[in-house]
Amino acid sequence: MSAADLVCDRCDSPLEVEDLRCPICNRAAPLSAPRDVPEAAVEVMRCGGCGAAVTYSVRELAPSCAFCGSVTLIEVPEDPLEQTEFFLPLTLNRDDAVAAYKRWLSGLGWFRPANLGSASSLESLTPLWWVGWVFTADATVTWAADSNFGARRADWAPHAGQVELDCDDIVVPASRGLSAEETDHLRDSYDLNSAGGEPVSGGGATIVEQFDVPRSTARQRVASRLNRLARTRLEGGHIPGSRFRNVHTSILLRRLVTRRFAFPSYVLAYRYRGTLYRIVISGQDPARILGKAPYAVAKIVLTVCLGLVGVAAVVAALIALIF
Amino acid sequence: MGGTGEMKVAPTVEQVEISCEACGAKIVLDPLLRTARCPYCDSPSVVDRPATADRPDPVFVVGFAVDRKKAARRMREWIGRKKWAPSRLKGKAADRVAGIYLPAYLYSATSATVYSATIGEEYFTTEISRDSKGRTRVRRKRKTEHCDLSGSHAAYVGDVVVTASHGITNHELEAIEPFDLGGLRRYTPAMVSGWISEEPSLAREKCLQLARSESTTAVGRLLHRFMPGDSHRDLQHTTELHDESLDLVLLPVWVFAIRYDERKPPIRILVNGQTGKVGGAIPTSWAKVLKIAAVVLGLLSLPVLIALLVGLLR
Repeated sequence: MSAADLVCDRCDSPLEVEDLRCPICNRAAPLSAPRDVPEAAVEVMRCGGCGAAVTYSVRELAPSCAFCGSVTLIEVPEDPLEQTEFFLPLTLNRDDAVAAYKRWLSGLGWFRPANLGSASSLESLTPLWWVGWVFTADATVTWAADSNFGARRADWAPHAGQVELDCDDIVVPASRGLSAEETDHLRDSYDLNSAGGEPVSGGGATIVEQFDVPRSTARQRVASRLNRLARTRLEGGHIPGSRFRNVHTSILLRRLVTRRFAFPSYVLAYRYRGTLYRIVISGQDPARILGKAPYAVAKIVLTVCLGLVGVAAVVAALIALIF
Repeated sequence: MGGTGEMKVAPTVEQVEISCEACGAKIVLDPLLRTARCPYCDSPSVVDRPATADRPDPVFVVGFAVDRKKAARRMREWIGRKKWAPSRLKGKAADRVAGIYLPAYLYSATSATVYSATIGEEYFTTEISRDSKGRTRVRRKRKTEHCDLSGSHAAYVGDVVVTASHGITNHELEAIEPFDLGGLRRYTPAMVSGWISEEPSLAREKCLQLARSESTTAVGRLLHRFMPGDSHRDLQHTTELHDESLDLVLLPVWVFAIRYDERKPPIRILVNGQTGKVGGAIPTSWAKVLKIAAVVLGLLSLPVLIALLVGLLR
């Protein structure tokens, strides 16, 4: 039975070959070859090395031969490290990335140094494929919560309901190199249908991240993201009212399909007055850019002083008017 | 490694007669046992019977991770912590010890629940009053507004384990639960070779009812945490279970039988063969209880006695 054929009978989620039970609903995974025993038979487990009888050993946590010490391999649920399945192409070339960086520097506003664009020097520009899971699922969410809608004497009133949520192509970042803030900013900028086989950077140094968590951790992170997503969507329109507390959800997942993607980006480092700053640009959308830049302290102090002088002038005028 | 010797046997309804593959001796195997050891040459064998509705094939097994010595130590420590246990029991060695793969069912399902409850939402009122000296007193008073709430709750219910053995009741099994189901392995005869492994002796339907009852109770516990508000009362729910699955799992259990009094039947203590958790019903030593009660009574009456004595001396 191939991995593609394995689907949970209860929740229709795909199963891995090594799964003993469905990780979503706990139903036992179907046996690849169901046993057919027409009549009672006796089996004596024999050691392949010395022929002696094999018994289960507490020390080895597996069947082993008491005479020669050989251990029988048993089927153990594997928890392998995840591997990238799909690489999205880098559609932004280096020149476009540099142009986007310059545009971003010059558009940061008045509180930045006036010479930020001219005095900054680009130190490095590296294509980086960061990794993440993309999942699709149908979810029945039953919920109960307090909100201000319908409140009478107390500030809160209880509500409950049930919602069907379609979760299509939800990205859960797994990057170590980029921060959560950076990946959250970039993740909606990609065309997931453009997935290819290998990363293509057009020359130069390239960083391709690897998934560094086992499958069980990946499933926990996806489930955790789903819980947060459900709560956000419920508070965004399904629970009546504008203020909420005690939002409790129970999620029934079906057809949870998780794919492992590598997303292209450029990581730029620029130097301004001796200090290095980092910028990240989506490899498919030059407008999706996030980074750090210095502030012009003198301008901020001047603005605050002017503001204080303005407030003082208004107060003085009011006092003069009253008295 | 891994060759298996196999021979056909003539099964009967009650007993199975097998021939030892090593020495050829005839062994009559109890129908409720899955494994045997030849009494002449000690060769271990595993019987593979055709599955029936009440005796399905095992799907999973949890291997022993606690050996006999460690299990005995855990049992002694556990008895040592029982203050009301008979003193003779504390020093007594087990008369019989057996590591058994206990048949149990692992149940999972989808639950659909309809509930209703009264939810309490707290609020504060300010009460102004004057005291006897005419001073104004402002008091903030907490009050609760009650609102009716009804709704639905859907979830997957999993990891419900119920006994499939007449020998060990579900209550006894619950005392040594939980088992770490992350340690589940696909059943193979080699996993139980050399150990006592029971066949299910309870009807599947009975176990299913037991599992349904446990699941409904578990959903009820979930609902208490699911309720909004500051408090709730009158929570009532009706739960339907769909897409049920019931898989036979063999669980590792150490069984200790201790006879501390010849006039009484031996007591049975179980040790979880995976985690070492101990459970069992320990008798209470009424002699100890009476002794302690007498000491407490004595201490309580001491001041009265002293007062009486002082009164007499005067």
